[in-house]
Amino acid sequence: MKISSMNYLFKQGMRNVWTNRIMSVASLCILSVSLLLIGFTLLFVANINRFVNGIENKNEVVIFIEDGTDETEISAMENTIRNINNVENVTFYSKEQALEDMKNDMENENAEDLFSYVGEENPLPDAFRLRIADIEKISPTLMEINRLDKIDSIKSPTDFINILTGLKNFIGIISLVILAALILVSLVIISNASRASVDIRKREIAIMKLVGATNSFIKIPFFVEGMFIGVLSGVLASAITCIGYNELIKVLSQDMTVWSIMSVNGFIPLNEFMWTLILGYIAAGAVISAFGTVMSTRKYLKV
Amino acid sequence: MVELKNVSVTYSNGVDALNDVSLRINDGEFAFVVGKSGAGKSTLIRLLLQEIEPTSGKITVNGFNLSKLKKNKAHKLRRTIGFVFQDFKLIDTMNVYDNVAFVLRSIDAPIKYIRNRVPYVISLVGLKDKAKAFPHELSGGEQQRVALARALVNDPQLIIADEPTGNLDPTNKIEILELLKAINSCGTTVMVVTHEHELVQYFGGRTISITDGRITFDDYIG
Repeated sequence: MKISSMNYLFKQGMRNVWTNRIMSVASLCILSVSLLLIGFTLLFVANINRFVNGIENKNEVVIFIEDGTDETEISAMENTIRNINNVENVTFYSKEQALEDMKNDMENENAEDLFSYVGEENPLPDAFRLRIADIEKISPTLMEINRLDKIDSIKSPTDFINILTGLKNFIGIISLVILAALILVSLVIISNASRASVDIRKREIAIMKLVGATNSFIKIPFFVEGMFIGVLSGVLASAITCIGYNELIKVLSQDMTVWSIMSVNGFIPLNEFMWTLILGYIAAGAVISAFGTVMSTRKYLKV
Repeated sequence: MVELKNVSVTYSNGVDALNDVSLRINDGEFAFVVGKSGAGKSTLIRLLLQEIEPTSGKITVNGFNLSKLKKNKAHKLRRTIGFVFQDFKLIDTMNVYDNVAFVLRSIDAPIKYIRNRVPYVISLVGLKDKAKAFPHELSGGEQQRVALARALVNDPQLIIADEPTGNLDPTNKIEILELLKAINSCGTTVMVVTHEHELVQYFGGRTISITDGRITFDDYIG
């Protein structure tokens, strides 16, 4: 096909957007709303995941060392623990540090009295604080640590982690189901909209076929038209999402106390996903709309 | 050239639309095809456009053997034929110029050729001043002239006009048929399908009559 013909077909596609402006606006709205629904669901799920991961990252296993263990043995234990798979990092937490922290934590008048009873003797044990890489595999890791000598006891949030892992899996499945349903519903609505937009031009398509136009010559303007509406929907959905999300975060972040109780440090900042979101919206809008429109022309091209 | 050999068409509902029809219209001929509603005229046109396939028989149009022509190559056949319909079949969203130029654009004709050819053909049918008008701004007669210009623009071997005067007043009927006669005098084969016997009597020439799916008359009158 000549460049001049491509140029003509491109212009024709753009002109069709204006000529069929009511259907164009209807398609634009339907596509934008569909993209927004999917986009906001994804953001909701991403934020929930961030919260769950935040809680997960706060997990800490504390290994108390038997009283009387010397420095060489402690150092050897630290090396052994560090080399265990699934241990992300290990920090030695001395009994002196533990006492100091305890004093700092208890900032009331009774605390001084309490520590005066303790006297020079420090009743707290030395310990290791460690973080687990894959929280779902915490049980075998703890079993391996338990086999080491000189370990007095281990404190770990195993039950909580089990609940958290279950919750995470549940959220994963539910969000997948909701997303799949949303995408399916959106595709049905969008395909109906593009079919309606092509339907009113079936006469035009039939005439083009009768005067000898090839299928691709007829389809290209529809493709251009669909793609333009798709890109425009992507831009519109991006603008609404960016502004809406920012405003929502502002409102929700006004009082962080409630969120802190739930171990939520903050929401995903807009700049962390903005460009991915814009590109995703535009690409999804363009592809769905362009192919949806072209597919809708198929039955009228059989003349 | 149009040739049908023992062509029959039976629709899926059992109706025999054409029954063992044999017919030949030579290059450069002008022929009327007449018949009442339901006689089989529309079926004949749909066959020639390859919109439907015959139940039996062989059809050749402008050198294309239609039984061997694949559906996705139908555009090659249609580019050798100019069509004129009773309801004009103009694209409402295009002006006169674009309606006519569309045919040339769809065959990838050079821009220069389109810019010369389209105004020439539009002026041939007497619509020089209406090139920018849209179909809804034109009278029935003018719309049919646009359809004629579109049929002519690609310099087709054959023009098929299906009830081209059906929606026109008597003056326009005569004018459109005179235009078709003029086109024919330049060497283009013209086939006019009509149920208006008075017009056929007025212009005369080869007349093929179809009754109940069969050719009952094929001769020159007037």
